Amino acid sequence: MYQEPLIFPHLSVLENIFIGHPILDRFGNFDTAAMREKALPIFESLGLDPDILPVSISKLRLGYQQLVLIAQALVYDSRLIMFDEPTSILSGAETDHLFNVITFLRQSGKAVVYISHRLEELLVIADEATVLTDGRVVGHTDRSELEPERLLALMAGKATRDYAAPRERKLSVQSEEPPVLEVEQLTLDPLYANVSFAVRQGEVLGLYGQVGAGRSEVALSLFGYLRPKSGTVRLRGQEVRIRSPRQAIAQGIGYLPEDRKLQGIFSFQSISSNLVSTVLPRLAGPLSNIRWREVAKVVNRFRTELNIKMGAPSDSIISLSGGGQQKVMIARWMAENLTVAILDEPTRGIDVVTKRDIHDLIRSLAEQGLAIIVISSDLPEVLAVSSRIMVMNRGSIVASYEEVTDALAEDILGAAIGMPAQEEAQ
Amino acid sequence: MKPLAIATQSTGTLSVNQSQQSGKRSVRYETILLIIVAAVVVIIAIGSHGNFWSSSNLTSLFVNAAITAVPAIGMTMVIVMGGIDVSIGSVVGLTATVAGLAFEQNWPIALVVVLTLVTGAIAGLINAWFIASRKLPPIIVTLGTMSIWRAVVYALLGGNWISTIPMTLTTWFVLDKLWVIPWSFVLTVAIVLVAAYMLRRRPMGRHVYAIGSNEEAAGVLGLPTKRVKYMAYVFLGALTAIAALMTLGQSPLVQATTGSGFELDVIAAVVIGGTSILGGRGTVIGSLLGAILTQLISDGVILFQIQPFWNGVVTGAMIIIAVIMSLLNQRGAAHE
Amino acid sequence: MSRGAGVFRKIGENYGVLILVLVFTVVGANILQPGILSLQNVSSMITFGVEIGLIALGETLVILGGGGGIDLSVGSMYAVSQVVVGLLAQGHVNILLAVAAGLAAGVVMGFVNGLLVTRVKIPAIITTLATMYAFSGVALLLTDGIDVSAFPASYSFIGQGLIWGLPAQFVLLYVPAALLLWVVLSKTVYGQQLYLTGTNQLAAVLSGINVKQVRMWTYVITGFLAAVAGVVDSSRLVTARPDAGATANLAAITIAVLGGTSIFGGKGSVWGTAIATLVITLVSYSFSLANINSVIETGTIGGVLIVVILFQGYLVRWFARGGRASAKA
Repeated sequence: MYQEPLIFPHLSVLENIFIGHPILDRFGNFDTAAMREKALPIFESLGLDPDILPVSISKLRLGYQQLVLIAQALVYDSRLIMFDEPTSILSGAETDHLFNVITFLRQSGKAVVYISHRLEELLVIADEATVLTDGRVVGHTDRSELEPERLLALMAGKATRDYAAPRERKLSVQSEEPPVLEVEQLTLDPLYANVSFAVRQGEVLGLYGQVGAGRSEVALSLFGYLRPKSGTVRLRGQEVRIRSPRQAIAQGIGYLPEDRKLQGIFSFQSISSNLVSTVLPRLAGPLSNIRWREVAKVVNRFRTELNIKMGAPSDSIISLSGGGQQKVMIARWMAENLTVAILDEPTRGIDVVTKRDIHDLIRSLAEQGLAIIVISSDLPEVLAVSSRIMVMNRGSIVASYEEVTDALAEDILGAAIGMPAQEEAQ
Repeated sequence: MKPLAIATQSTGTLSVNQSQQSGKRSVRYETILLIIVAAVVVIIAIGSHGNFWSSSNLTSLFVNAAITAVPAIGMTMVIVMGGIDVSIGSVVGLTATVAGLAFEQNWPIALVVVLTLVTGAIAGLINAWFIASRKLPPIIVTLGTMSIWRAVVYALLGGNWISTIPMTLTTWFVLDKLWVIPWSFVLTVAIVLVAAYMLRRRPMGRHVYAIGSNEEAAGVLGLPTKRVKYMAYVFLGALTAIAALMTLGQSPLVQATTGSGFELDVIAAVVIGGTSILGGRGTVIGSLLGAILTQLISDGVILFQIQPFWNGVVTGAMIIIAVIMSLLNQRGAAHE
Repeated sequence: MSRGAGVFRKIGENYGVLILVLVFTVVGANILQPGILSLQNVSSMITFGVEIGLIALGETLVILGGGGGIDLSVGSMYAVSQVVVGLLAQGHVNILLAVAAGLAAGVVMGFVNGLLVTRVKIPAIITTLATMYAFSGVALLLTDGIDVSAFPASYSFIGQGLIWGLPAQFVLLYVPAALLLWVVLSKTVYGQQLYLTGTNQLAAVLSGINVKQVRMWTYVITGFLAAVAGVVDSSRLVTARPDAGATANLAAITIAVLGGTSIFGGKGSVWGTAIATLVITLVSYSFSLANINSVIETGTIGGVLIVVILFQGYLVRWFARGGRASAKA
């Protein structure tokens, strides 16, 4: 979930800096003194305390480890230093420190490439900016044009261009009934804090945000995989404490994981095994025996219902296309009697046709009375399926929209990347 | 550079705190171990009514500790890298047999020593090939070679035993002493110091810890992971051969069961010495102390005339306790 | 017709290599010891195979559960349980109660292993290496290292009796155990969950599977099966030996791996293990008929383990490349 720096946790800070190209003395030993000497001025110029040099790097906070590794680039005298989303795991003070460091690097004649989705950061430190969307360069601005509106227009332009209005739009549910799921002040430092929201039956709540904004962590907490430090969760009006995914499922909460390969599929197992993994106990007879006929029924039902193109149900799951696999993952939850479905990046890495199928499916599931949370960093997707939209940035909910219109695209994007909110609906 | 000064302040407080903490911790473990060793010595010395201080008991204690500690040095490296080797008991048998056969043929002792070391190194090399080059799980590979070497020992001995071991080995390792300390133990301490130096200062040694810390990153950075693994297993094999020679010095007899069960003593010494079974952490000094502690306990078992069968129970329990302690320690560190 | 061909292909895929190995072993054993497959020999071979076969079934489950699962302590549990039965019988406790106590001892030891591995999270290798020595120490302590053979005459039936001309322990214990485990693995929720856990631990947790409990059971079942094997052994020899089963872990792991159990978990079957048990038993038996020492036999089994694991590694990589030949080779 984190972009973990390439470190050796049990080695000292100094060794982590030099391990690739150590300084050796004339006997071929690690010359700690010489390395320390070389690192000292760099640490000084980076504003890092030299006392941490002999400390095992695992003792430092994750954010700090990354700051330390910048020293590595300087030691090797790199001319170009690249930062890939460096602030995703830094605290506010550490981020400030990082910006000071980058300013210093620039002043000492290094070229810096800074990759980030956080617009406010770019405005502070960038001299020029290139906008990439979906692997394509969509625009470039130099210093004079480096303004939030301009960047946002470049980013959103692509988003709205790709965006095809859905066949039908799901409207918000205006109901007197209490929400199915209510979350209040849910907090798990430092991943997210004070997250509150509610979902009604028949609703699709779009949770938009960039990768690393804390969306999946909130979902995994609701699903019992992570334990929030504080806050309450109410299900059908009753407060619940969910300690494991098993309990979450028993309560009617399902979670479609973000990373299909790592968290979702059972590679060498059959399609049917994969499809029924969550409902096994319910397909069992009195002796905990699996009733294979029932399994076959379930598989066949979803095969036609979701139009999954497959050979025999006993074929390996990896014989399916990415889209097919994802449909099986979704079917896994449709087979369960859910109240709340949390779909994390439901169409990541999936072909356009299947994507549209899945969007239709989400809408129809909501119509059947499910409460659905769709987590996505794909703006058109959020706009297409949601009846309400919430935006997360840096572990907090920064905006929410009760009604969804296409015109919101720029607003939502702006909120997600840390622009001051221009206009919030209600 | 004014803004930097402010940042420095905040960094300063944070990291000084942490460096103090870590300093305390690393001193603590080996000190604890030393204190435990001292306490056990006191308990045994008092409980045995002075039998502990008899010269024969001290000698056998030192030699036993040396025999365990020497392979423990290599085992430390192997476990730090995330591996394990359960075949060394059989390698003791194999190298002792080879030495015994060479002695039977009246080979000069220097040549026998070289031959024994080479045999041990080859046994290590074979493990290393499967583990480093073929990427097979160390436990499976060494479980296999363990039984193979034992069979080879049996085939070589043909059901007999060899007792034509020259006194020289006994003189070297057991009888000749530096004050009260047998030379075998002095040699062990010397090897420990050399290994500690290698692990702390030589690039190879640092690579051992780097691989154990994060093997993937080590690969990405182009560290010679394969070569380092070969080195560790071969080194362990050669050290095991030295332990076999010391064993022959202690009891000049080679039989089919020589060395069986020895691997547990060594693994116990390493784990009790503070080496993390999850890799990345461990020192040879700790393993030396671990070896002394396990042998002290065996010695106590004999002096107190307790059932020798307690040995296995106690050693097994000590491994589990040591591992739980190190896991708690690591989890504690992760929470900071 | 096409269904038949499919079944044939499936058997070939899963057990082809194994069946080939079996055929080679049979031919080899026949050359080494002509007439080895006489009815009487087969009968006594089955007698020998039951004990290690039971243990191997447990080992299969543990390895199948993935996450580095392995049980090195099976031999020691085997020894402890038979010693418990032996000592109680010596104390004139009803033999059925004594056997029940021995089996309970196995369950408790398996539970200890499972607890340390799944709850305390000590890697299985270290846990079971430590308990291997600890349990073995217990067995020696209980008996002062001396064999116990004060069993009532009726006790020998399990290990020496015949039912329908076949060894009683095979008919009464091994076949039911294998069938039951086959049913459990292929027909029950637990079995499915075990395969899923072994295949992808994280996905299993996120599917609501209680991974810790699933793995815990594999150790408990293994302890139980090792105890059953211990009872059979002491009944067959009418002696409880505290030092029995010293090399059982090696043989059990070899059988499991040879039977197609992936050391990375998620793959393996009762049938594979059963056939592999046949192979290893055949090897052991022909060695002992040819008067080859058991140390050599164990060495051969170790060699088989390494060769198989090497081969399995190639196969896994071959599958990972989608069945294409290696670019280098």
